[in-house]
Amino acid sequence: MDTIKLYLRSMRMLIRSQLQYPASFLMQTLAQLIMEGGEMLAVILIVDRFDRLNQWMPGDLYFFFGLMSVTFYLTEFFGRGVTGAFPGMVRSGQLDTLFLRPRGILTQILCSAADPRRVSCIAVGMAALVLGSRMADIVWTLPKALLLAESILLGVLLILGLFMIEAVFCIYSVKSVELVNAITYGGRSACQYPIDIYARPLRVLFTVAAPFALVLHVPAAYILGKPLYGWPGWAAFLCPLSGGVVFLIMYAVFQRGLRHYRSTGS
Amino acid sequence: MAFIEVENLSKTYTLRKKRAGHFSREKIQVKALDSMHFEVSEGEILGYIGPNGAGKSTTVKLLCGILTPESGTARVNGLIPWKDRKAHARQIGVVFGQRSQLWWDVPVIDSYQLLRDIYRVPEESYRRRLAELTEALALEELLSTPLRLLSLGQRMRAELGGSLLHSPRLLFLDEPTIGLDAVSKLQLRDFLQRENREHGTTIMLTTHDMEDISALCRRVLVLGHGKKLFDGALPDLLAKYDTQRVITLRYADGRSLPELPHGCAVSRDGQDHRIVYSPDALPTAQLMAALQAAGPIQELTVQSQSIDHLIAAMYREMDL
Repeated sequence: MDTIKLYLRSMRMLIRSQLQYPASFLMQTLAQLIMEGGEMLAVILIVDRFDRLNQWMPGDLYFFFGLMSVTFYLTEFFGRGVTGAFPGMVRSGQLDTLFLRPRGILTQILCSAADPRRVSCIAVGMAALVLGSRMADIVWTLPKALLLAESILLGVLLILGLFMIEAVFCIYSVKSVELVNAITYGGRSACQYPIDIYARPLRVLFTVAAPFALVLHVPAAYILGKPLYGWPGWAAFLCPLSGGVVFLIMYAVFQRGLRHYRSTGS
Repeated sequence: MAFIEVENLSKTYTLRKKRAGHFSREKIQVKALDSMHFEVSEGEILGYIGPNGAGKSTTVKLLCGILTPESGTARVNGLIPWKDRKAHARQIGVVFGQRSQLWWDVPVIDSYQLLRDIYRVPEESYRRRLAELTEALALEELLSTPLRLLSLGQRMRAELGGSLLHSPRLLFLDEPTIGLDAVSKLQLRDFLQRENREHGTTIMLTTHDMEDISALCRRVLVLGHGKKLFDGALPDLLAKYDTQRVITLRYADGRSLPELPHGCAVSRDGQDHRIVYSPDALPTAQLMAALQAAGPIQELTVQSQSIDHLIAAMYREMDL
């Protein structure tokens, strides 16, 4: 509880310090809006052209896109320490100072950065979710709403876990490894469409290694009232937990990695 | 049991060096710390000196719990820093001269409040300690200013305040006076002495500023190539290298120096002459007599070499 309080206080302070430069904040938030709006436009154009993709209707596709956007950008907003700031913290030696305080290192990393500019991307994602929900005529029930929340929450953990792969490389080599971006940013781009439109190797990658399909797509299919690839309904509630598993595994690897941290300079 | 116990502590870094013209990389093992061994009692102020790359920072980072050694052990107040990191963190404060620990864009007081939450300092003790530090470090007008707007001296005071809010029993200072002006340096030293006297805080000071050492530390530890070279009082260390004297003199008529006995190094700056000699080989009285015989002396001073010269001589002799 205490840790969550600390996190919330840190976030408040970070957001306040970003607002010290209001013009810059506004411009960048606007730039993000244009960028994410463009992504959405691309989806709209694709949907417009094919009026259906396998079994998925346009509304379904907007819903998938929205779910991914909201999840991914929530992670970047509140988990900026892991998704963006970490390599810099290693290089500048700021990571050293986290070792000096009586709190978990990961807690402090999460407490040390936020990216409130992402609020515009999250808004685009929400708009897509609402639009998709309307067009697909989703009948909202309590289980469906809870499943949506579960899916987003564990999606955030999954994405954090994937970014931690890069963080672990960083600890060893003091450099960031762009290759990992293939499954983080690559995962976001690929998995904003339903997984079954892809060839088998990609399906395996995003189900087993970086299980976006299990965390986001299976619940989305349930909410949209589609068949769950032959699985029973309760599987939709179980599948997202794989995101938590990825996070826990990476958490353990990360903790081990910290013991090999070499620090920089004097 | 000593407050800090360091036994056989070793740390090796593996560097990968690219050889010119080769694709392969050479692995080089660098021993940053080689079987280090020392003890510090509670309430001591220890100066930790050595040339760049001697292993000072590595020792501090090990004792702070940032790095894990390959062999040997260290205990601070019974805790092993890299194993009991969180419990250990509560009993230490650290100030890096070149690395800020406060938040850049927010007023200092906001950083302090966050530190209070991080260290779980009870509100009552936080208020008492903040009042005390505000008075001792003259923080009053800094507290409401964002860190980035402070001068270096002000920032160092703010950093020091932040590192002491949780009343640590051991304070690590890594080049705390680097870049500070004379007034700020003196204030800082006064404050550290006061903190040590009133709270019994043990202080471990890494610095290249010998004035800091002579003002604050009764004991110094000299480090070179990861090994301990000297452990004792500063005067004892210096006595061995304090073999030379410097005479500065000016003749009333601005004349040149006479022919002097062998073993003097002479230089001239305008009308001032500078003579470096060692009293063991050439008695001061004999040199003075020769100088006085040559003409009317207007001004004359005899000084020891500066501590920096002595330390440089020591590093040279120790082959560092």
